[in-house]
Amino acid sequence: MNAFDYRAPRSLDEALAVLAEYGEDARVVAGGTALVTMMRQRLVQPRCLVSLRDVSGLERIEANGGLRLGALVTHREAEISPLVRERLPVLAETFRRVGTIRIRHMATVGGALAHADPNQDPPVTLLALGATVEVRGSRGARGIQVAEFFRDYYETALAPGELVTAVTVPSLPVATGAAFLKFLPRTADDYATVAAAAIVTLEPDGARCREARIALGSVGVTPLRATSAERLLVGETLGEGLLQSAGEAAKTAVDPLSDHRGSAAYKREMTGVMVVRALGQAWEAARRAQNRS
Amino acid sequence: MIRLTVNGTVHELDVPSYRTLLDCLRYDLGLTGSKEGCGVGVCGACTVLLDGKMISSCIALAAFADGRSVTTVEGLARDERLHPVQQAFVDAGGFQCGICTPGQIVSAKALLDANPKPSDDEIREWMLGNLCRCTGYYKIIESIRAAAGRSRA
Amino acid sequence: MTFTQECVIPVERERLWDFMMEVPRVARCVPGVEAVEAMDTDAYRGSLKVQVGPIRLALEGVITVEERDREAWRARMRAEANDRRLGGGIRARLGLTLAPDDTGTHLTIDTDLTILGRIGEFGQPIIRKKADALLAEFARNLQSALAA
Repeated sequence: MNAFDYRAPRSLDEALAVLAEYGEDARVVAGGTALVTMMRQRLVQPRCLVSLRDVSGLERIEANGGLRLGALVTHREAEISPLVRERLPVLAETFRRVGTIRIRHMATVGGALAHADPNQDPPVTLLALGATVEVRGSRGARGIQVAEFFRDYYETALAPGELVTAVTVPSLPVATGAAFLKFLPRTADDYATVAAAAIVTLEPDGARCREARIALGSVGVTPLRATSAERLLVGETLGEGLLQSAGEAAKTAVDPLSDHRGSAAYKREMTGVMVVRALGQAWEAARRAQNRS
Repeated sequence: MIRLTVNGTVHELDVPSYRTLLDCLRYDLGLTGSKEGCGVGVCGACTVLLDGKMISSCIALAAFADGRSVTTVEGLARDERLHPVQQAFVDAGGFQCGICTPGQIVSAKALLDANPKPSDDEIREWMLGNLCRCTGYYKIIESIRAAAGRSRA
Repeated sequence: MTFTQECVIPVERERLWDFMMEVPRVARCVPGVEAVEAMDTDAYRGSLKVQVGPIRLALEGVITVEERDREAWRARMRAEANDRRLGGGIRARLGLTLAPDDTGTHLTIDTDLTILGRIGEFGQPIIRKKADALLAEFARNLQSALAA
């Protein structure tokens, strides 16, 4: 690693001041699992590392109608939180699938968003859930929809000097089921070949789909919504043919890169498969939710 | 300058910012039990406990441990007596070359601290990030099962 | 890896060819290129900066024009550049073909790219995406330069 200044501010304002001082030459670090790994490989060589470790106020998980996860909440905390498990079990499950427990003890929610690797799991589910990323800069705070937050591989909508402070996730409507599936033909701690998050909301009749959301990971330069597949489902009743059509439509929404987790063609094919399965599971979960209410 | 507690002893160290926690433990403190296997946090040979939680020390900066408490494999035995997990690995033959073993033992200790009576599935899931090239994992799981059987919760 | 890129430049072929054969001038249309200077006839030293998120590549090397065939409207170039900080580099063979088009010239670039060392381990698929973005901006810069 290169030599760098290490700063550990104790407040958000102090952190923003350090970022302003160093400009482009500073990188923010939280758990460091992604950034320190890249620095060890000399892919990133910042002049200053701003650690958020001692910044107070970013580590809370709060219920506020939906859920608000502070940027410094670790993956492990989100995974085992009774609040997250109860209100958004699909999100707890998604965090559980990331890497190993060692990684999850350090990697943070904010860091996962800011890193913007399209192979990561949490952004996929957060995209399906319609979450908002809370951001702070010297000019103030703003919220960015997850759909607008990811711009490209490793690139976000964060302006220079801005950092992620939290992510807020709306609660699910009644009669809604959700599923997150991670297709891992290699080791259990790897990134996905394809990841799919599906959320299905049923009409009061419990049969027809009112709304569907399908988000996909590892099949583009950012996580993606398969909107054409989603539209096929609205107003329809569950049927194998319907899900297959949605799977086919989802394949047209993706633009995978060939890498050691699969060729572009393979990832495209598996997109179809995983979307069908995730939708099936989400639909069943929606039915169960509908029957309970 | 960082100040960290390692295996119960407080150390004040002047280390460069780029020092990883693993290198700090091995070179600044002479605790060579933790190993660098892959350098990217995947293999588990560098596993230590940071405030009781297992982490990959090869991708943690030493600075991350400032003001915190670290446990390495060297901190498990007490007064010449091996920790029950260590003893179980010895008795069940849970290692061959030994290079992954410190990481296995530290991870297993963390498991039993959190869950004193884990099922085999729970053992496998917890330990999936500790790779071993020699044993095929069976004896490692047996060792952990044995350690769980011995330690009364 | 090999890939082919195409674009249409609204400039007639002869004018485009003459412009492109002046390497320092056309190289400056590539986003991220800095300081192109001639070493020899047909050999030029230059640097290219490319950024992917937090990762910055600073490639320094040589581009050589191996063949110019104005009759067939084809040119071949070779590029070798290294990033000393990261430890890695690229070796590329480029084939340019200019064909007439209704609106100007259809430019085809065939690239045979070898990525060495660190950059290769990390970024093969990303580099492919970046190449597309680079070409799009190159085409825009080319048009602006020729409009002036």
